[in-house]
Amino acid sequence: MMSDNQGLPRPRINSSMLSRYISKPVCFVGRVEKVHPTGKSFTITDGEGQCVHVELNYPLAEELSGIVEVIGMVSNKGAIMATTFQCLPEEKGINFNLELYNEAVKIIHDFPEHYPFEVAPAESDLF
Amino acid sequence: MIQLTDGAIEALAGGSEVNDAILQLVSIRKIEGGNGPVRYRVMMSDGRHTMSSFMLCTQLNFMAEENLLAPNCLVLIKRHVTNTLKDGRRVVIILETEVLKPAADVKGRIGNPTPYSDGQAKAPQQAAPPAAPVSRPPLQAQIGNDPPSSASVPPPVNRAVGKDFGKKPAAPTTPGGASKVVPIASLNPYISKWTICARITNKSGIRTWSNSRGDGKLFSMEVVDESGEIRVTSFNQEVDKFFGLIEVGKVYYISKGNLKVANKRFTTVKNDYEISLNGETSIIPCEDNCDVPIVQCDFITIGDLEKKEKDSLVDVIGVCKSVGEVIRLTTKTNREVSKRTINLMDASGKMVMLTLWGEEAEQFNGTSQPIVAVKGAKLSDFGGVSLSASFSSTLMTNPDIPEAYKLRGWFDKEGHRMEGQSVTELKGSGGMGNSVWKTLADVKTENLGHGEKADYYTCIGTIVYMRQDNCLYRACPSPDCNKKVVDQYNGMYRCEKCDKEFPNFKYRLILSANISDYTNNQWVTCFQETAESILGQNAAYLGQLKDSNEGAFDEIFQKANFSTFVFRNRVKLETYNDESRIKATVLEVKPVDHQEYSRRLIMNIRKMAAK
Repeated sequence: MMSDNQGLPRPRINSSMLSRYISKPVCFVGRVEKVHPTGKSFTITDGEGQCVHVELNYPLAEELSGIVEVIGMVSNKGAIMATTFQCLPEEKGINFNLELYNEAVKIIHDFPEHYPFEVAPAESDLF
Repeated sequence: MIQLTDGAIEALAGGSEVNDAILQLVSIRKIEGGNGPVRYRVMMSDGRHTMSSFMLCTQLNFMAEENLLAPNCLVLIKRHVTNTLKDGRRVVIILETEVLKPAADVKGRIGNPTPYSDGQAKAPQQAAPPAAPVSRPPLQAQIGNDPPSSASVPPPVNRAVGKDFGKKPAAPTTPGGASKVVPIASLNPYISKWTICARITNKSGIRTWSNSRGDGKLFSMEVVDESGEIRVTSFNQEVDKFFGLIEVGKVYYISKGNLKVANKRFTTVKNDYEISLNGETSIIPCEDNCDVPIVQCDFITIGDLEKKEKDSLVDVIGVCKSVGEVIRLTTKTNREVSKRTINLMDASGKMVMLTLWGEEAEQFNGTSQPIVAVKGAKLSDFGGVSLSASFSSTLMTNPDIPEAYKLRGWFDKEGHRMEGQSVTELKGSGGMGNSVWKTLADVKTENLGHGEKADYYTCIGTIVYMRQDNCLYRACPSPDCNKKVVDQYNGMYRCEKCDKEFPNFKYRLILSANISDYTNNQWVTCFQETAESILGQNAAYLGQLKDSNEGAFDEIFQKANFSTFVFRNRVKLETYNDESRIKATVLEVKPVDHQEYSRRLIMNIRKMAAK
């Protein structure tokens, strides 16, 4: 897994913001739509119903469905080159409300003065 | 001493509006109307000038017929409309007037008025009157839409006049060609033959009665056209004749019924009159019904409901935010009836509970939050302010009216995010949507509880400390008594309230805790139920644990510490021996509904940003 993203903030975005983050690392949460037969890519939809393409380094080991959180770089075609992803299984507890999540994402972008994207200094930096 | 409004005639002749002119009636003349109702032409004076081109609207014909308007009386012109004929002459149609002084009390003509010359070509004895067909109240476009009686105005002089008024093409005639269609708003008891073309908006079931004079049955309905609405009741034989024929939502020609003054208590229908069908009435379906509106409602916002009086009838429209289950209950008369409550929210941000009954309750479909409009709902003081759909109310789901589209647009854009503050206060009515949310800092800065009455608020708080000692006490074992018992040290416990001794007791909780949020903290007292919720154990078990296993007892408190809940608290300033302290009691404790909390935070952020 590539770790060169670790020094940079990975803001949460939705599909309408992709164009502003080309070549930058982002965090994208959506519902899995379709998995490519090769298992090397899949599409997810965000809280606004827009579909985004996600590309993986290695093919998927197992079936993917439900809500997934992808961290990766935005390509200049508006796809996400995933470095890592995580499933939020829906059977465990309360359903994830993707539309509500989308509203929250809009808020953090509408009020950057209250939600600055920074990375906390690593402990080694403090001394 | 009543003064005539000097200069009113000149102003009216010049086409100006004159509010509340006081004039003297000089003469009044009946004009036969051919196919339409009779008209009365009057000559009025303001003491300085006279003018003969005044006409009474047909609604006021009765004043002439009952001799209320007799020469020399003094009248107040409350509402009028001035029409200008093609040749520049003005005709003033009197829509509403009040007799200030009857003719008998006035000695002759006031002043020495002369005929106002400008625009008045001939002397007051002019034979042909100008056509003045405006018989509707000004809510309608004045001159354009006219009842066809204008077309029947006598020719030569007035053909030009007829063109001004009769813009609408020949109005629909009844199939039998009996009489021309008139607007509902123009109906009054003094018209003998009339036909209306209207849509049925509401039809009741058949009600029967039995009294000393015999039996009877009736049904009633409400009908509407572009000019207004009116209630129609049918009795006995007419019920048999028409009940099966009438379908709600369809348009019919209705002719010849009795017009009488309406009983406003039973309806929100805006009409001073109502129709009673009789043996001569005919009701025929109308094919061409595109102009007839679907329903007439005078909606008030949910926020304004509090201003209305209990038991009044109101029209309300809102988004159905939530729907309750149908329940069956038995009334006092041992009848079984179905009931369902729904919550409506409108653009005022307020929400109200509406109760539906019977079939309406059973068949109501609240999926996908439809727009619900109710006409003639009864305002009740149950829960403060609430609505009930009565026998005569009309309930519409997603009606095809502009207000519904407006509401849908508002709701889809912003309304769906709102919680809605309910004007109906019910204990524990599912979800904290009806609550007054405060931060713990607000409670202090707003001095909640300092007033005469206790204050109530809801907040999200985290437990940061609990007084573990003294959270349990021994209470009287009697079911409804919670008084602390006195240990008699002989194996018996005494309850002073019940005045009895018992060999046992029950443990009860009074838990003192400190809750905190990001703004401040608050000491609160939790009694039995709320304490048990927080600790996750019942009082009896805790009591047992305290006596037998202190380690396990401590662990329960450790686990509960730093848990977060939604608290609904009551706060009041209490004075005890010269000392005043704010006491807060937890009334209800609930787990945090994160989605609801999120929505509320998002809404608050957006609201703050908009300011």
